[in-house]
Amino acid sequence: MRRRGTAGDVALDALTWVIVLAMIAPIVWLVLSSTQTNLQISNGTYDFLHPTFDAFSRMWQTVDFERYFLNSLIICTTAALIATAFAACAGYALARYRFRGARPFSLAVIGTQLIPGSMFLLPVYMGFVWLKQNTPIHLLDTRLGMIIVYTAFFTPVAIYFMRSFFLAIPRDMEEAGLVDGCTPFGAFVRIVLPNAAPGLVATFVYAFLFAWDELLFAAALTQTQAETIPIGIRNFIGNYSQEYAQLMAAGVVSTLPVMLAFFATQRWLVKGLTAGAVKG
Amino acid sequence: MVGPAPRRRRRRRRNTFAYALIAPAALFMLLVHVVPMLAGALLSFKNLNTFTFHQLFGAPWTGLSNYEAILDSSNPLNDGFVGAVWNTVRYTFWTVLGCLAGGLAIAVLLNRDMRGRKWARALMLAPWIVPGFVVATIWQFMWQSDVGIVNKVLVDYLHLLGDRPTWLAGDNALWAMIIPSVWRGLPLNMLIFLAALQAVPTELYEAASIDGAGAWRRFRHITLPLLRPLIGIQLLFGVIYAAYQYTIPVVMFGSNPGPDADLMMTLIVRQSFSNSLFGFGAAASVLLMGVMLIWVLLWYRAFRRDLEAAA
Repeated sequence: MRRRGTAGDVALDALTWVIVLAMIAPIVWLVLSSTQTNLQISNGTYDFLHPTFDAFSRMWQTVDFERYFLNSLIICTTAALIATAFAACAGYALARYRFRGARPFSLAVIGTQLIPGSMFLLPVYMGFVWLKQNTPIHLLDTRLGMIIVYTAFFTPVAIYFMRSFFLAIPRDMEEAGLVDGCTPFGAFVRIVLPNAAPGLVATFVYAFLFAWDELLFAAALTQTQAETIPIGIRNFIGNYSQEYAQLMAAGVVSTLPVMLAFFATQRWLVKGLTAGAVKG
Repeated sequence: MVGPAPRRRRRRRRNTFAYALIAPAALFMLLVHVVPMLAGALLSFKNLNTFTFHQLFGAPWTGLSNYEAILDSSNPLNDGFVGAVWNTVRYTFWTVLGCLAGGLAIAVLLNRDMRGRKWARALMLAPWIVPGFVVATIWQFMWQSDVGIVNKVLVDYLHLLGDRPTWLAGDNALWAMIIPSVWRGLPLNMLIFLAALQAVPTELYEAASIDGAGAWRRFRHITLPLLRPLIGIQLLFGVIYAAYQYTIPVVMFGSNPGPDADLMMTLIVRQSFSNSLFGFGAAASVLLMGVMLIWVLLWYRAFRRDLEAAA
């Protein structure tokens, strides 16, 4: 047992809280400045006791934020759902089966993280242009195109996430199911998946967080229809850089969905993120 | 009695099931990662610009001229490339170092038993959940020379500095990106290190204390070796993600951050999509990925034994 209450301990406790405050200060500042007027922000006459929520109502007119928001919500939710489904299947195969190609496959899964986005962005863009010119398939500047791309992007990391969750589930359960006459697929769907529910939720939220943040492909593959929030924010900074309060309000609105998703699932998500750390 | 034939058949059926399970993920990775990556490598040998873009993949071959343009110091494109390389190296080094060292230090701090530790950990994690483009938005606003809170605090309130520094240009610009990147990246490292520290049996430290080992020696000879595999993993991916950073510079500085803040990705995307030098961009991407491959191989040599220990 370590001794408590010495001067050194008090000092280290204080240091910890100072660091915590410093870490959350920019977030606090984001929220606080979104409740001030542009004038108050620019000449420093802040009045935090009388917040105004003017910026939150006007930001939707300054840029078409509603469209960006809706696009982000639809694209990221769908892509994260499909990625989680794909990852649940592949992660289960890697966790339970020894099959030829398992090692190359899992190496390829990590290998995808090594490709710079700029390297396959151009071919994907050209492929989308080619499809538009030669087939009735429209993927350029459509939600469907972005969903396909994001699904592929976030599947690899999701596979590792799901695999570690499946490894933590005891084998006996599905083996009992197999003895009772379940098919391997039946055992997977009816026995394993329900037990992996926290892992599925955590993987979904993780993929959603990453998709929500993607800017490079959204910038190149969307023009006027399927733009997502990061594009909207970039337009905001580019064209209305003096609208400080509205920009900060837009930042708050863009962060809220992921904050809510995170805190609702924090317990499971933390377990998934630290799975590698506590294995031993 | 189970003969070899039925067992093999059952084995094959199980394998078929495993292949069916990985098929959707494998198909998407093939279509969106592997094939476009190979196509990207091919495009780096093509003369793809405004005039030939309509030919798409049929654009004329041009041999190594895209690579020559990058590496030939008399070519005007070479100058910007070399500048972006050094910016990226500095950005990556300081960002990864800050995330690892800061994350480790805070994890050690939070591993002590103190009141409200759960709260401290949850709050500490908050920056990681803020999306990268919002991180860049907040900080480019805070760094503003006249209206930004950083200068208001440093100059107007605390009088630490005489005149208002410009954070978003000159030598400061790189630090204006590194600091938010560390701020956002450090919490995840902290979380992973803290989870590992909490799994260390306290008896180890107690035994060392009894043997007379001070705090630093306990950290150096117990904590660090135990965390080595995790540090290795964080280092591997930290370097890759930092070297491929795009959101922070492009939101803070726009698509042309200028010579002080231009990173590899902003350079490649700008040359490809704004200046229509697609072949140049593809060649630069291939070189960037080549460097990362070398990094992975070096990393593997250094941390191979830790991987085996962890598996």
